[in-house]
Amino acid sequence: MFQKQVGPYPLGIWIVFIVLLAVFLGWGMQAYSLLNWDGAVDIGFQNERFTGDAVERAWAHESWSVALVDVLWPLPIGIVAIVGLLRKRLFGFAAGLMEFAITVYFPLVFAFQRWTTYRSTALVALFLWAIPSFVGIICLWVNRKSFTQ
Amino acid sequence: MLKPSVLTWILVIFGLVFIFVPMVYVQFNVAVNPNSQQTKDMIIGRGEDYRDKTHVRVSYGIALSDLIFWLPLLAAGSIGVILGRIWGYILWGVSGAISVYISIILLFTEREYVYPSVGPLVYYTIFWGFFVYWGVATIAYATLRLSDAKL
Repeated sequence: MFQKQVGPYPLGIWIVFIVLLAVFLGWGMQAYSLLNWDGAVDIGFQNERFTGDAVERAWAHESWSVALVDVLWPLPIGIVAIVGLLRKRLFGFAAGLMEFAITVYFPLVFAFQRWTTYRSTALVALFLWAIPSFVGIICLWVNRKSFTQ
Repeated sequence: MLKPSVLTWILVIFGLVFIFVPMVYVQFNVAVNPNSQQTKDMIIGRGEDYRDKTHVRVSYGIALSDLIFWLPLLAAGSIGVILGRIWGYILWGVSGAISVYISIILLFTEREYVYPSVGPLVYYTIFWGFFVYWGVATIAYATLRLSDAKL
C-alpha cells in the first residue's frame, strides 16, 4: 500500500512529508519557546516557568536546553531530509531516518520522565511525534528503492 | 554488500567497548535502582548525589529510552556492518544521530554539575566526549560508505 504511486511520489513518501510537517511544527514551537518562553507556557507547549519554585526552574532549564538542541541538530537534519526526499536522493532517505529516530527517541525520554507529572503532555508528544515518526520510518524503508545516489 | 574495512572494525570495537557495554551496565542500574550510591557514583561522580527530584527523573527517562530504543539500534547496526549489510550502516547513522542529540542536551543540562567532579580528561573522553566522537564518526563513515552503495 505504501508503495502505491500517487503523483510524483509513492503514498508512503507523501505520508513521510506529512509526518515531517508535524515534526517541523514541533521544531517551530521549540524555536518560538526560545524567543518567548512565557508565551510558550501560556499556550501549553512548555510546562514550566523560570519564575516558579526550585523544582519548576530545574525542569524549565532542562526543557530550554532541549528546545535549543532541537533547533541546532534535528531541525537542520529535517531540512536536509525534505530537500533530499523531494529530489528522491539517498541522503534524503538517510536524513529522514535520522530525523524520525530522534523524534521517536525523545518523546520516549519525555514520557518516561514526566508520566506522573505531565501525562497529557507526554501523550501528546507520543501521539503527535513518536508514533507518526515510527510510521514514517516504515514508509521510508518500504520505499527505499525509490532513492538514488 | 559492503565489506568491513579496518575503519569499520575500529568503530565497531570502539562502540562496543566505550559505548555499548558501559551504557547497558550503567543505564540498567539507573533503570532498576536509580537511588543507589553505586548508580550515582557512575552517572554523577564518586560520592555525589542527585541535585533534586528532576535530576532523578531526567536520568531515569534517558536510561529507559536508551535501553529500549538507542542501544538496540546501535547493536543491530554494528551487527549489520560486520555482516556488510547496507541496513547496518543506516542503523549506525541513525544511532549516531541519537548519540549526538542526547550528548548536546547533556552538555547544556549536566556539564556544569558533572564536569567539576570528574575533570576535563574524563569528561571529554569516557563520560561525555566519546559519545559525540563516536556519533559523528559513524554518521560520517556511514554516509561515505552508503554513497557507493545501491539500496
